[in-house]
Amino acid sequence: MIVPFHHLLVLATLLFLLGLMAVLVRRNLIMILIGVEIMLNAAGLVLVGASALWQQIDGQVLVIFLMALTSAEVSISLAMVVYLNRRKKTVDVRAFDELRG
Amino acid sequence: MSLLELQALLPQIILALGATAILMLGAWYPSRKWILAGVGIALVAALCAGFVSPAVAEVAGLYSTGRYACFFVIVWSLLGAFSLLLSLRYAEIHDLPGSEYSSLVLFAACGMGLLSAATSLIGLFLGLEAFTLVFYVLIAFKREDPRGAEAGLKYLVMGAVATGFLAFGISLIYAASGSFHLPEAFVGLQQTAGGMRTIGLVGWALILVAIGFKVSLAPFHLWTPDVYQGAPAPVTALLATGSKGAVFAALVPLFTALGPLKADLEVILWVLAALSMLVGTLAALPQRNLKRMLAYSSVVHMGYLLTGLLVGGRVGNRALLFYLLAYSIATLGAFGVLSSFSRVDDEPQEYTDFRGLGYLHPRRSSVLAACLLSLAGIPPLVGFFAKFGIFSAALKGGYPGLALIGILTALASLYYYLSPIVVLFMQQRDARQLRRGGRHEYIVLACCFAAILLLGIYPAPLLDLLGSLLP
Repeated sequence: MIVPFHHLLVLATLLFLLGLMAVLVRRNLIMILIGVEIMLNAAGLVLVGASALWQQIDGQVLVIFLMALTSAEVSISLAMVVYLNRRKKTVDVRAFDELRG
Repeated sequence: MSLLELQALLPQIILALGATAILMLGAWYPSRKWILAGVGIALVAALCAGFVSPAVAEVAGLYSTGRYACFFVIVWSLLGAFSLLLSLRYAEIHDLPGSEYSSLVLFAACGMGLLSAATSLIGLFLGLEAFTLVFYVLIAFKREDPRGAEAGLKYLVMGAVATGFLAFGISLIYAASGSFHLPEAFVGLQQTAGGMRTIGLVGWALILVAIGFKVSLAPFHLWTPDVYQGAPAPVTALLATGSKGAVFAALVPLFTALGPLKADLEVILWVLAALSMLVGTLAALPQRNLKRMLAYSSVVHMGYLLTGLLVGGRVGNRALLFYLLAYSIATLGAFGVLSSFSRVDDEPQEYTDFRGLGYLHPRRSSVLAACLLSLAGIPPLVGFFAKFGIFSAALKGGYPGLALIGILTALASLYYYLSPIVVLFMQQRDARQLRRGGRHEYIVLACCFAAILLLGIYPAPLLDLLGSLLP
């Protein structure tokens, strides 16, 4: 491997943390979902790197599974965004705070 | 994947293909009768798992087809069938589309069956996501209910973050060990030293965070009460029992494979278990809403289950599985009564809605009371033996601290489980007459009631069966 595995790991960890920050800090539902996608892509990056490190195909197989799963998740969550937007005319998660106790 | 492997995975394939068929046919012939068809498919899958002996022991290095896996496929299929039976009248009065609902529940049962059978991290990931994606839809299924929308949003954000943690954790473990298959992954993790071992342990901790979200362990439980409250009651029944139970069912072989690595995680698990018991109890005590109370008390129950997992070994795992079944039966019964009580406009869930209801609907109220008493662990019911098993396993296994916290929180739980029962049978009546229960609901409630009573009086056969399932 031309790129040392540790560099890849650092990059992926940074990406993961950035995604997590987006989820925690952003209040717009679409931005939160983008943050989750970044977290998942960080995982995919590690998988591809580890796959090259161990000279196996398994990691790349999971990356393909991950892509399929991500697209399923995005389609459901965007349907949810449309539905929530119709209810409250906003995608700000702060608008949804009726359940308490 | 050969034909033999497909045959070995037949119950899950029946569930998935049956769900697809119902979804397709429902587009042409929309009807609520599809829910009954879904019950039939779930029962066929359960029978298939029980009586067709699988041709190979492991499918594609992902899913086991051993007796343990088959047992849990039966349990989750039956659970899917029961929650569909509970939904029949509920779907009618709330005007839910039958075929979509039925197929989603079957997909969820399929995902739970896959998760409990997982022998590889890929299998674990796919099984877990298969039913999480279904629950995103099911929780917000009542479209006109604003609380359902909010609950769906909360579960979506929490579930998506948990998915991110799980995927990153799995990829780190793979990077450190070079295998997804559980036994090899853990052997690989033990052999590596230095930086790679740390990476593997960090990955394992991230997976624990994701699992904490899914089964609502204490610092990650904040979504639970809102989702329980906002989701339709039959969906909450499935969420509270199956989605948490399947994760624990998958964790038992996982922790057995973990071997000596468990020592590295012991402190985290200990803290998670203790926090779950304490935080759940403190939050459940002031609740005046039955669904929220059950949500917080489920956090406590997850703490007990984690204690069993931590003790491990044959005794601990058997106690855990018995507790899991006792908890699932009683929770299914409690949410079954709640869905049977539901009105056109709303579900009664505040304690004020229940005042004196025991005199108007004595049979269903008695079932609810029995379920709550079993969850509290009152002696002749199954919950008592389950709790006793966990605590004695914890004492013998060298976790006296957790056993002590468990016994204290179980005592405190008497308060929050008894107060709705007192309200139900209060002389002063505020409750309105509710609709008569449906025949299908009575079947489920009678099954739960009988199981709570019979397993409480005579638990030996089930204990023997669970003992024989464990490796």
